Amino acid sequence: MFDFAVVTEWVDGLLRSWLPESWAVLAEFFLIGLCLLLAYAVIALVLILAERKVCAYFQCRLGPNRVGPWGLTQSVADMFKMLIKELIQVRHVDNFLFNLAPYIVIISSVLAFGCIPYAKGLEIIDFNVGIFFLLAVSSIGIVGILLAGWSSNNKYSLIGAMRSGAQMISYELSIGLSILTMVVFSGSMQLSTIVESQADGWFLFRGHIPAFIAFIVYLIAGTAETNRGPFDLPEADSELTAGYHTEYSGMHFGFFYLAEFLNMFIVASVAATLFLGGWMPLHIPGWEGFNAAMDWIPSIFWFIGKVAVMIFIIMWFKWTFPRLRIDQLLRLEWKYLLPLNLCNLLLMVIVVVFNLHF
Amino acid sequence: MAMSNSFTRYISSFWKGLWSLLKGMRRTIIIFFRKKTTECYPENRATLVISDRFRGELVMPHDENNQHKCVACGICEMNCPNDSIHIESEMVEDENGKKTKVLRRYNYDLGSCLFCQLCVRGCPHGAIEFRNTFEHAVFTREKLVKQLNREGSTVVKKR
Amino acid sequence: MEKIKNRILEVVPEAVVVSEAPLTVSVPPLPFYDLARRLRDDEDMRFDYLVCMTGVDEGESLGVVYHLRSTVYGHELVLRTAALDRENPELASVVDIWATANLNEREVFDFFGIRFINHPDMRRLFLRNDWVGYPLRKDYNADEKINPVRLESEETIDVAPAYEASRDGEVEEIEHVLFKEGEYVVNIGPQHPATHGVLRFRVQLDGEIVRKVDVNCGYIHRGIEKMCESLTYPQMLALTDRLDYLSAHQNRHALCLCIEDALQIEVPERVKYIRTIMDELTRLQSHLLFWSTFCMDLGALTAFFYGFRDREKILDMFEETCGGRLIMNYNVVGGVMQDIHPNLVHRIKDFIKYLPPMLKEYHEVFTGNIIAQQRMKGIGLLSREDAISYGVTGPSGRASGWACDVRKIHPYGVYDKVDFKEIVREDGDVFGRYMVRMEEILQSLHILEQLVDNIPEGDFAVKTKPIIRLPEGNYFRSVEASRGEFGVYIESRGDKFPYRVKFRSPGLPLVSVVDLLARDGKIADLIAVGGSLDYVVPDIDR
Repeated sequence: MFDFAVVTEWVDGLLRSWLPESWAVLAEFFLIGLCLLLAYAVIALVLILAERKVCAYFQCRLGPNRVGPWGLTQSVADMFKMLIKELIQVRHVDNFLFNLAPYIVIISSVLAFGCIPYAKGLEIIDFNVGIFFLLAVSSIGIVGILLAGWSSNNKYSLIGAMRSGAQMISYELSIGLSILTMVVFSGSMQLSTIVESQADGWFLFRGHIPAFIAFIVYLIAGTAETNRGPFDLPEADSELTAGYHTEYSGMHFGFFYLAEFLNMFIVASVAATLFLGGWMPLHIPGWEGFNAAMDWIPSIFWFIGKVAVMIFIIMWFKWTFPRLRIDQLLRLEWKYLLPLNLCNLLLMVIVVVFNLHF
Repeated sequence: MAMSNSFTRYISSFWKGLWSLLKGMRRTIIIFFRKKTTECYPENRATLVISDRFRGELVMPHDENNQHKCVACGICEMNCPNDSIHIESEMVEDENGKKTKVLRRYNYDLGSCLFCQLCVRGCPHGAIEFRNTFEHAVFTREKLVKQLNREGSTVVKKR
Repeated sequence: MEKIKNRILEVVPEAVVVSEAPLTVSVPPLPFYDLARRLRDDEDMRFDYLVCMTGVDEGESLGVVYHLRSTVYGHELVLRTAALDRENPELASVVDIWATANLNEREVFDFFGIRFINHPDMRRLFLRNDWVGYPLRKDYNADEKINPVRLESEETIDVAPAYEASRDGEVEEIEHVLFKEGEYVVNIGPQHPATHGVLRFRVQLDGEIVRKVDVNCGYIHRGIEKMCESLTYPQMLALTDRLDYLSAHQNRHALCLCIEDALQIEVPERVKYIRTIMDELTRLQSHLLFWSTFCMDLGALTAFFYGFRDREKILDMFEETCGGRLIMNYNVVGGVMQDIHPNLVHRIKDFIKYLPPMLKEYHEVFTGNIIAQQRMKGIGLLSREDAISYGVTGPSGRASGWACDVRKIHPYGVYDKVDFKEIVREDGDVFGRYMVRMEEILQSLHILEQLVDNIPEGDFAVKTKPIIRLPEGNYFRSVEASRGEFGVYIESRGDKFPYRVKFRSPGLPLVSVVDLLARDGKIADLIAVGGSLDYVVPDIDR
């Protein structure tokens, strides 16, 4: 299997041969940052197009089909539109916080984006509490959303922000607990270790019942965490027009929009990493020929494929279900998911202690 | 007893809810793979069927001699509930010295037309009719005011 | 009827019986309120449903016409009263007898300037608060200098005027506070995705909970009733399609029936069949649209497209036969515009086969969904008494257990010849209103099934005179439009123009109960309630 470490080490060696050590490190920082942002933008564009196409197909439509062949460059055109749009100065807003909020949202999502192991040897931030760090940075986003709603001086925005706050804080629990369940199972918080230990079987299969429950709970809570339907109460278009980002225009709105799609990507890739083996190919113990054939497919494709499936499921949710009401949303979390999760954690501990897994 | 009862209800409501959600998801994924209903206009212009009766705009048919049937009686103008029709006419003396009213301009404002058909129904000579064209978008309102009789057209003589 | 007449004359000896059928009684303003109360409460009369309330400029006085119906006995009565002083017209309010009078009296005040004593809230309903004059009075000055097109936005008032009679009959103006200082009031509308048009709710919130809803109408008021007074009867027809554009056929049917009644034209049997078929197709497309938009209000965007996909098929039928998709413009006095298109019959047959499986899909995607169920059941409860008092007719009224279908009460067209069930449910919540419509779709298909093969041969219209003059008199006819009883009241003085036209819109009562239903619910419930009532704004504003 191709190891991306070869490429990164080659670049590293090249830079070090040209520059003194400290400059080489600095240059690497810039390079990584650039690649990260570029990947961020490209993935967002692809996701936006995918969402529009998928949603259209669920609704017996064709979706964008005018810009480029099959509408493929539609989201690129949209990006240019968004970039050249005016940032409207809204009166009676708290200017500093109003302008700060989209950056907080986007920074938190870029930080989380940097933690994910994309392929063999392609991890940007990888240390012993990786998954914990990912959780921590991705929940900074809520501060941005609350600030956006609060500083907009708009009643719709405020209600949207408050809903968002209540929702995120509640569902953070479920996310945390379901991830904890998997951490108990793998015995590590380091993302690369988690992936490596799935070499002979993905956790979803090896952890059977508790892993499966954790997977479902994670999917639900993750969808809620990204403010997507059926949990899109903070922006509930038929109730609050656009919720917390009602007053934003141009690229500031674009940041919220991008962050929303990237958060969906992050949730999907964390699910893929924790439950479906990340970039690890599908291995079935004993089937050597099959395993070798699977290894032949590059790890990056494994990762992208798994994430794509997860994203499709999340979109499938969104385009099937009606929106929940705020009390139902909280009831789902506190009365169903949380007890289920706690029992599941206990079950997982039993499974691990008595070695009941595969 | 009551405790266990509410507990079973809690559990059963959970499964029932889950089941209803899965049913909906099954239906949408079936539709996902069905044929789509989008019509690709304007690519399908050639095959597009617009009903003959569709009221797109008012027209005044002319025959091959550039003649129409309007005698400028003004009934349509009177019938119109929204003043969309304005007829300019003049009195012309023919070779026998008989004065007749002749249509000069038949102005029709598509922008204010209600498509109520009172003009067509009221016309004693069948000089005007609705046509099923529909691509009427223009950039200014003035362009929606149309002259229905062609340049140099005359009225069909009755024999 | 004789008994009712005698009872009224007993209570108010100075009342004048204007006509016998329908029984029309003119009552002086002073004893009017007591009579109204007796009419509703008396065991033998029980006129508990105020169908329609119309202001009329009667020259030296300003009159009001009340169309009453008893939901217990089914008999009908027309009451007339008049404020004699044109400069300072005052009448007793009947809000506490029939709750639907609330918005109707505001409408009369708006158009005629009659102040209703003891009405809690005498603001204008449709026009701006700074409007000068009362436009439906015959001496109204329509000079544009007096009421120019105002470009600045109107100031919203939080304190409404009201007039209260003290014990000695002295009338004093009091202040009715709508919203106090410091209350969290949010505008839902006039530009809002869930109000289905330019309707504005001022909603007082306590966190997520709705405490009060104040309805502000008039953003799409076009003065259709005023316009009708200067149009001939055939010209008027063009405007009815533009009231409730989802019941275009039915509205026009009502006006045609009213004019045909007055002219005593008997339309051919074929016309009756065609009109009934078209009415039912209209109801189908309206209910399909209801389903779509209601799902969208609840956040199920995908469902929205399924409904529209199927509604398109009906619109195609309309296009083929009537020549229009939304504004069909099909009924005329004495018949219909053109004979049905040869394709219509088999298209309808195909559609009857096509829709039921689709309905099953609808139920799978939305109705059975646990989220949708929990958002609909037990939300926005409307009791039967309130439904009658507020005049909430149509599917919304029937969901509260009130059998108010005009097709059954006063059959028109060929509804007396077809077999169909009036869907009545007892739940009265959002889910009830939703299910009534879903079941009515099946009933409409059932009606179509019976009619489509049996359209008799004959003319599609009878000849009418080129200039139609209605004989002097008052005419009222109502039909069951897609969202309730749609009535037309014409007062003619023998001209080719009507003297006064009033459209009893089903939308106004619907919007008047929003406050009642949404109070103490969540914001999301307000949206669900609004969606389930399924009002159409041009119909409310006229």
